[in-house]
Amino acid sequence: MDIFNALMAGFAAAITPANLLWCLVGCALGTAVGVLPGIGPAVAVAMLLPITGKVDVTASMIFFSGIYYGAMYGGSTTSILLNTPGETASMVTAMEGNKMAKSGRAGAALATAAIGSFVAGTIATVVVTLFAPFVAEFAVKLGPPEYFLLMLLAFTTVSAVLGKSTLRGMTALFIGLAAGCVGLDQISGQGRYTGNVPELLDGIEIVLVAVGLFAVAEVLYAVLFEGRVVEAQNKLSRVHMSSRDWKRSIPAWLRGTAIGTPFGCIPAGGTEIPTFLSYAVEKKLAKDKEAKAEFGTTGAIEGVAGPEAANNATVTAALIPLLTLGIPTSNTTAILLGAFQNYGIQPGPQLFTTSAALVWALIASLYIGNVMLLVLNLPMVGLWVKLLKIPKPQLYAGILIFATVGAYGMRQSAFDLYLLYGIGVLGVIMRRFDFPTAPVVVGMILGPLAEAQLRNAMSIGEGSAMVFVQRPMSIALVVVIVAVLALPRLMKRASERKMRALNA
Amino acid sequence: MITSSFPPVEPAPPGAVWPQTAVGIGVLLVGLFLAYGATSISSEAGYGGVGPNFLPWLSAIVLIVCGAWITWEARTGGFREMDAPTGAVETYWSGFVWVSAGLLLNASLITTIGFILSCTLCYVMAVQGLRRAAGQPVVNQPRTWLVDAVTGFLIAAPVFWMFTQFLAINLPGLTESGWF
Repeated sequence: MDIFNALMAGFAAAITPANLLWCLVGCALGTAVGVLPGIGPAVAVAMLLPITGKVDVTASMIFFSGIYYGAMYGGSTTSILLNTPGETASMVTAMEGNKMAKSGRAGAALATAAIGSFVAGTIATVVVTLFAPFVAEFAVKLGPPEYFLLMLLAFTTVSAVLGKSTLRGMTALFIGLAAGCVGLDQISGQGRYTGNVPELLDGIEIVLVAVGLFAVAEVLYAVLFEGRVVEAQNKLSRVHMSSRDWKRSIPAWLRGTAIGTPFGCIPAGGTEIPTFLSYAVEKKLAKDKEAKAEFGTTGAIEGVAGPEAANNATVTAALIPLLTLGIPTSNTTAILLGAFQNYGIQPGPQLFTTSAALVWALIASLYIGNVMLLVLNLPMVGLWVKLLKIPKPQLYAGILIFATVGAYGMRQSAFDLYLLYGIGVLGVIMRRFDFPTAPVVVGMILGPLAEAQLRNAMSIGEGSAMVFVQRPMSIALVVVIVAVLALPRLMKRASERKMRALNA
Repeated sequence: MITSSFPPVEPAPPGAVWPQTAVGIGVLLVGLFLAYGATSISSEAGYGGVGPNFLPWLSAIVLIVCGAWITWEARTGGFREMDAPTGAVETYWSGFVWVSAGLLLNASLITTIGFILSCTLCYVMAVQGLRRAAGQPVVNQPRTWLVDAVTGFLIAAPVFWMFTQFLAINLPGLTESGWF
């Protein structure tokens, strides 16, 4: 009942005309950045972070959340029509959705993606509503050792498990951690890597890193390597699902939600595993011959419905570790954490007591945003598709103007614009040589927090690292981290051995 | 622990060995630079035994090891488990110079000529680079330059106005008192 009352209070706060407008603008902007190539939700939120100086915290968090999940809806449109997934989350949608579009069923693919996103987003929001307060209550009992290990788990998964190469993932993570070191040490107040540059005393702004790594790097990469790439756009057919499409989509949405939600809840991150898992499940469960034959050929609707639902469920449920533990598991949630920090608010278990009104308004806005997005994305899909007509040179050059606002607007320093360019060049190198970027952002934001927790934990343990294995929860976390690191490798070795045995 | 120790080694694409080696050496140098910087950070650890120089040293050592490892991978068959990069194999440097010049001029002129003109200039130069990269034949026509300049202005001016007026973000105007 407490939860219900709190949620109702959240709705009351979210349904003010101003907040509804922020939500609508956020959802529309999110859909637009999802549709447009070269700019994702992380960049959009990062570029708009300077507004935290003016707009009140509830409104801006509602706005940023609107961008966050709006981009997921928009991303599927581009994947289906262009076969250029903006981020890994839409890769599976691109696989089957694009095949459906090629065989003249773009409308059905877009509809199942949008409705599936709505169903999954809403169910996952219910999960957030019901479980986040309990996780917060539980998380209050965690001490610095457990927090440090939770962050270590996030680092491990984001760098060593999700990417293809652990070596490049680790490199990216430690570049992020090193970037997070720049500035004044938060415990001793000592300057680190400031090189007598006054701007560096405040540290490197996350806006700079996100906008540089994603937006500027994207433009530089496009001019260096993708000038002559011509994308063929599939024709948009009427957005409509037949009764057979509905019959095939509904179970896939529910299965996708069931797969995606738990993945979002754990502080491990990534939408790749749940979306690919959902795709594999749908492929395996396809019963009738016709559906089976459609997979990988003309495109099966389950292959779009399931992964899209899994994606949205994961993304929405990822708000649980963000709000209750203060642990971001993706680029965008890492930047959302940065937005909270700009207001002097540290997400974590206390958030539900100290900023209850904000949290519940944010959760209520998720319900409202999902409805808005369904309306924005089904009848108005034709409008968004028009965005794909913007010529790339003008689009990318325009992105640089917005990048300047984000980078310069944060602290009015031209030095930041030079730094932005440098980070952009780094982003190009990372992309060309297949280094993941998420570990940089997560490492940079979470690094200083993890360092503080480590130092607090070590102080509690009077300098002994045994403090990390003295309580059941911390031991469990150590086991999970070891398992996360070791299991995929052992399984890989086993399968390689099997393959060798078969070949012999 | 690191997967790249036992994946199948595929030969590096021709011409990739030196760029990959350069990346490895770059990471190694970053690690060495961090180690150099860490020497000047106090090791005053206090009660917990972990001081402000712990994370800098850890980052430095890990990056030195990773840099050496990446270099070794580059020299022994190329990066392991690497997706082929998207886009062309050749690098279009001339377009890169245009976009870079736009960005750097923007950084150096923004406080002098203001946000709108500086961003318009950045836009014009970036769009030139991107048009050239796309092989558009119209790049040298005066009309294209004019259209691009007007387009850049029409994007930068409302952005400036919206962010400074509605969101109270400080962006430099053309004059001390701002654009308006």
